[in-house]
Amino acid sequence: MSPENNRAWLGVLPVVLVVAFSGVVPLMTVVNYSVQDILDVHTRFFVGFDWYRETLRDPRFADALLRQVAFSLTVLAIELPLGILVARAIPKGRAFTPLLLVLIALPLLIPWNVVGTIWQIFARGDIGLLGVTLNAVGLEFNYTQNPLHAWLTVVAMDVWHWTSLVVLLAFAGLSSIPAAYYQAAELDNASAWQTFRHVELPKLRGVLIIAVLLRLMDSLMIYTEPFVLTGGGPGNTTTFLSQYLATMAVGQFDLGPAAAFSVIYFLVILLLCWLFYSSVVKRDA
Amino acid sequence: MAHITIEGLGYRYPDAAEETLSDVTLDVPAGEAHALLGASGAGKSTMLALLSGLLRPSRGRVLFDGQDVTPLAARHRNVAQVFQFPVLYDGMNVLKNLTFPLTQRGFTKEAALQRARHIAERLEISELLLRKANDLSLFQKQLVAVGRAIVRPDVALVLLDEPLTAVQPSTKTHLRHVLKEVQRDLHVTMIYVTHDQTEALTFATAISVMANGGLLQTAAAETLYNEPAHEIVAHFVGDPGMNLLDAEVRGGQVYLGEDALGPMSLTDGPVRLGFRAEWVALDAAHGLPGKVLRRRDAGTRQGAVVGVADVSVVGQTIRAAYHGPIGELPRVSVRRFVGFRGGIRVA
Amino acid sequence: MRSSRLAPWILGGYCLYLLLPLYWLLSMALRRNEDIVGRFEIVPAAPTLANFAEIFSNPVWYQGFANSLTYVALNTLISMAVAIPAAYAFSRYRFLGDRQLFFWLLTNRMAPPAVFLLPFFQLYSSIGLFDTPLAVALAHCLFTVPLAVWILEGFMSSVPRTVDEMARLDGHRFGFFFFRIFLPIIRGGLGVTVFFCFMFSWVELLLARTLTGSETKPIAVVMTRTVSASGLDWGVLAAAGVLTVIPGALVVWFVRRSLVRGFALGRV
Repeated sequence: MSPENNRAWLGVLPVVLVVAFSGVVPLMTVVNYSVQDILDVHTRFFVGFDWYRETLRDPRFADALLRQVAFSLTVLAIELPLGILVARAIPKGRAFTPLLLVLIALPLLIPWNVVGTIWQIFARGDIGLLGVTLNAVGLEFNYTQNPLHAWLTVVAMDVWHWTSLVVLLAFAGLSSIPAAYYQAAELDNASAWQTFRHVELPKLRGVLIIAVLLRLMDSLMIYTEPFVLTGGGPGNTTTFLSQYLATMAVGQFDLGPAAAFSVIYFLVILLLCWLFYSSVVKRDA
Repeated sequence: MAHITIEGLGYRYPDAAEETLSDVTLDVPAGEAHALLGASGAGKSTMLALLSGLLRPSRGRVLFDGQDVTPLAARHRNVAQVFQFPVLYDGMNVLKNLTFPLTQRGFTKEAALQRARHIAERLEISELLLRKANDLSLFQKQLVAVGRAIVRPDVALVLLDEPLTAVQPSTKTHLRHVLKEVQRDLHVTMIYVTHDQTEALTFATAISVMANGGLLQTAAAETLYNEPAHEIVAHFVGDPGMNLLDAEVRGGQVYLGEDALGPMSLTDGPVRLGFRAEWVALDAAHGLPGKVLRRRDAGTRQGAVVGVADVSVVGQTIRAAYHGPIGELPRVSVRRFVGFRGGIRVA
Repeated sequence: MRSSRLAPWILGGYCLYLLLPLYWLLSMALRRNEDIVGRFEIVPAAPTLANFAEIFSNPVWYQGFANSLTYVALNTLISMAVAIPAAYAFSRYRFLGDRQLFFWLLTNRMAPPAVFLLPFFQLYSSIGLFDTPLAVALAHCLFTVPLAVWILEGFMSSVPRTVDEMARLDGHRFGFFFFRIFLPIIRGGLGVTVFFCFMFSWVELLLARTLTGSETKPIAVVMTRTVSASGLDWGVLAAAGVLTVIPGALVVWFVRRSLVRGFALGRV
């Protein structure tokens, strides 16, 4: 058990100050805006929860939220199993393993707008390898016009961009399982699936919770990549929450509604992460 | 439980220049408690992997009840193993952990449950059956791991790989007794791998001593102690190990320096003389002049406490059973001894 | 791990999936715009370095690189400096409100940058930090600091407390113990944390773009802007993309060994 020591607060203080400055102060500003109608710097009215009510009733918000959740669940449903599958396929302790890991980690380190650019160049029907190839086999692929194609392209881009995070985490988790567990399963005549289900999956639980949490929150915040790739279109079919918010706040300068939207947005992410976390922790107890 | 026969077994790791294990021949009768004793690096783990089928030998054969199982994969050999640390399925409860090895081999659910309950009762872990494996103490986990190994009634062979390593010192003795009892009651053929001779001596009826990838001697504890077949066995078995001194045989007598110790029927030439601490008499009326240098911690010989002293004699230091004060100048005689040439016991 | 016959195929397929878009980026970077728009080639028939030459002849690009690396380095420095003592406090002591504080920190990681765009802009403008690398570095602390504390706490907790006690018994001062004994023990974890700070600060652009004016534009923004100013030149755009991939590739190459080992040891 750790010793009780309130002087430990001294160690935490710098973090609290930095995060308060970069997190709490802006958040307070947002909350402050969200209850006011701001016409200009000197003219503002207190409007209570009006903006919240308006945002929640706004069908465009509901649409964006629905699209957002659908998107996050889709990419999670692909990236998690795919990441585990790839991690299991990586050989351990071979000469080329580090090189392989470097290649796999690469997409994580590319600036997000460049990720968008890469996929734009790759998927365009006129100059892109993917677009031209798909058109050549007669699919009439056009992600700027066809909503389904746009969705598939955005999902493919996110899978390309982020599956590697799951791969690295899962590979680290798999590397720490002692060989004896596999030997015991072998002696028990366990099938490959049973070995995965009863040996690997329970041992991966910790890293997978982290992977899901990180992917859940980051996919809910996605902005730059689809902004560059599709600009939210065609129509609004790939407009997710962040982009809708940015249009409102910076584009139209609707400070009050944008602020109320922001608070709701933040709460949605907190709620989803909390729902996930408490459901896995509860199953534990 | 099966009669295990190992014939000329050898194993060389891929890319390795020399064999890790070479030319091991061993016979373990059905239902025997057998121990493989050796320092780390002796080849014990390789031997285990060859028995369980996780490795394929480069040479030689493994037979279970006369049937050649060498080409069979681990899952088809019907072998179970207890590892150095408790290996359980974390997500399952204890009961499921116990029934899993049975249902995987075609037992009906009812038969598996009945057998698992029986084993749990035998190991006194019945009250743990519905607990998650992850929530148990190390000792409880290892008990369950033992249960998993013996739960199959037809298991050919149970391998125990230093099974006491992970448990607390206070519970080691308990677990050792449980293992011994279970082995005796169920007549399971067990091979217990350890570097700890106390564990080997208390568990097994026959012990094989391994060193440098070879099997040096297989015998009962008493024989290993009194008639080691090899210098390494003499040195390794017993606490303290045998005194080993360079001596010479001349005309049927063995000489330590200029002093004759007694008869040894060997051709003339150098010999490595081995004798236990308690084979030395320090109160003889005649013998070599010696000096008691220091008392050592009391060693044990199969449970009996023996006082041991370092004694300087003819320029070398030997260990001798001794209870008296330091600095004495006794006459040293060796009542009994063995002789080695080229590492092998010849007298 | 049980090796399956499918494994090489899965791995090969995934690597191909990762490499194809990157290959295409590189192949575009080696072709002239007329050429790109004019005809479709899988392998550049007449590779040229003209696009790269154009980028390197324009000082805006160096400046962009320098700007990005400045705020990324600043952010990593600040994050590590504040996260290390905090993680130590969380891993070694219980104190009033420790758990609540820890969770509050993590919730900051869940705040979408888009939410903070406007308040950040106003906050940094009002205190004269707007258009400085420090503004971006501080803004990025919003998500790098909680993550750094989280990761480091996991590593520090995996070091037995007896290490601390032994050092105290040996009569070492706390400063000596902490910097000369404790931190070297978790250097793998420090490497992983630096990697994550670098990564999230380097790849984020929404905040970086909003908080910088003409003076300190990050590289990735310079890239899009230059391109749109001169019409859409795919070749130059691709060449710029290739250049922004390089720093990340270098970083991951240098930490490749500690990365997996570090992952396996700590909480991550």
